[in-house]
Amino acid sequence: MDTKELETTALLAQIELGKGDLARLGEAVSQMLDNFRKMNELDTEGLEATTHALVTDNRVRPDSPVPSDLADALVERSPELEDRFIVIPNVL
Amino acid sequence: MDPTFETRWSQFSAKKQAYLAYARPMEQKVGSFLTYRPDVEAPQAGALQGLPFAVKDNIAVKNFPLTCGSRMLETLVSPYTATAVARLQAAGAVVIGKTNLDEFGMGSSTDLSALGKTNNPWDFSRVAGGSSGGSAAAAAAGLVSFALGTDTGGSVRQPASFCGVYGLKPTYGTVSRYGMTAYASSLEVMGIASKSLALTEKVYGVMKGRDPHDQTSLDPAPGVARAVKTIAVLDGLTDLEPAVQRAYEATLDHLKALGYRLLPVHLGTLDYAVPAYYTIATAEASANLARFNGIRYGLRPEYAENPEDLIRKSRTAGFGDEVKIRIMLGTYVLRSGFQDQYYTKAQKVRTAIRNDLQKVFDQADLLMTPTFPTRAFVHGDRSMTPYQQKLADKFTVTANLAGIPALSFPAGLEEGLPVGMQFMAPAFEEGRLFEAAAKFATRVAAPDCPGTSLDWSK
Repeated sequence: MDTKELETTALLAQIELGKGDLARLGEAVSQMLDNFRKMNELDTEGLEATTHALVTDNRVRPDSPVPSDLADALVERSPELEDRFIVIPNVL
Repeated sequence: MDPTFETRWSQFSAKKQAYLAYARPMEQKVGSFLTYRPDVEAPQAGALQGLPFAVKDNIAVKNFPLTCGSRMLETLVSPYTATAVARLQAAGAVVIGKTNLDEFGMGSSTDLSALGKTNNPWDFSRVAGGSSGGSAAAAAAGLVSFALGTDTGGSVRQPASFCGVYGLKPTYGTVSRYGMTAYASSLEVMGIASKSLALTEKVYGVMKGRDPHDQTSLDPAPGVARAVKTIAVLDGLTDLEPAVQRAYEATLDHLKALGYRLLPVHLGTLDYAVPAYYTIATAEASANLARFNGIRYGLRPEYAENPEDLIRKSRTAGFGDEVKIRIMLGTYVLRSGFQDQYYTKAQKVRTAIRNDLQKVFDQADLLMTPTFPTRAFVHGDRSMTPYQQKLADKFTVTANLAGIPALSFPAGLEEGLPVGMQFMAPAFEEGRLFEAAAKFATRVAAPDCPGTSLDWSK
């Protein structure tokens, strides 16, 4: 994969790549992509795509409230709290 | 060995001091745990009463850390317990620690953990395998009666093979994934590593079953029970390390001596299993790991210019190289314009592999292959690059792509290191795996790792 493609992909993946990363990770990514292209040797004409091996139906649960006691435990696990508000870095 | 094995382990609470005197120095050498809390009392009721077990650190256990072996989640403590773990606890088993793993389950050595180093109990200079290396090492070193891992592409079976224990990857969906940190959702399932085959089967029996919290979970529906008679084997199998080749041929001889008919088969799609697996696994990983962004989860930078900058800084500092490589690969294969060429193609190859396996199971009750082409390799060994480790996953990923159950079983020692072989069965036919492995164990038992002992329980 050329550097430009790699940079675009990293941007989409929300990962920052330094110069050293580009060379090191780029080589590993390219090597795997070459391996992926091997799939073209196999004729898959007429085959359906398998998304899940054994799941055939889309199960949903009834649209009704279910009690959960997790809210406090989750809030307590925040790095910084003011009352029940989660403090985040100033990003504006 | 089996009845004694469980009876001895059920002494865990009563003989705590003797256990600790054995286990603490052993754990210092092996390094299987990221969190080790053996100072707990085990319940004295239930099918698994009093049995201590370990849980891979990408599975949630309430009030234990849930790091996934990553800087990203180093400080996370889980507020809830995974369904499968809760079922084991309800049956009387007790969690005594969280085991080391390759970051987010991505790797074959456990050397890609950002938080600890795990050694193979058979040879401390070698890796325990991965990604559930801590779980397999803890089971082999006699630190727990069994350990839970996750198997996305062989992550329970390969370390089980490296450490000389049994490693079960159940049928996809038969064990709830609720509480398991998602990596590749359509491929992965929780599995079990243990020195005891009977206990592995028992633990699976407790864990399995549909869970309202996981909409892909299923109740196992095995077909009419029938004895295993025919075992398919790969025709003209090469590219194995000579020691594994020897163990493989010896296994064939043992199976013949046990009265099984061996049926050579050609799996034409096997060469495409690795590219199809890594295409699908990385695509799903890129979506699943998008949630780690320093906002709802994960490492948070000190400051950021804007929200995008905060997310980028969090992910850049929080993820290791291998995770970044896989996220980028997955992002690439899902990009518009490339999707048909890679992701959709891989899903069609997946269909071809399933069809191929179906043909095998039309003629045979089980398929037997080596678990991995090599024995445990040395830490940082240049003879097995990360790329070569991925290519070597071909025997294990096949079962994940097809969703079928597979069991790695100890098949003897070669030059002092264990070698594992694996049985694969049609969906829901775990019973066949246990039956054949139990018969095989009458000829080759799970090996005792030097320096390990259950004498503390006497």
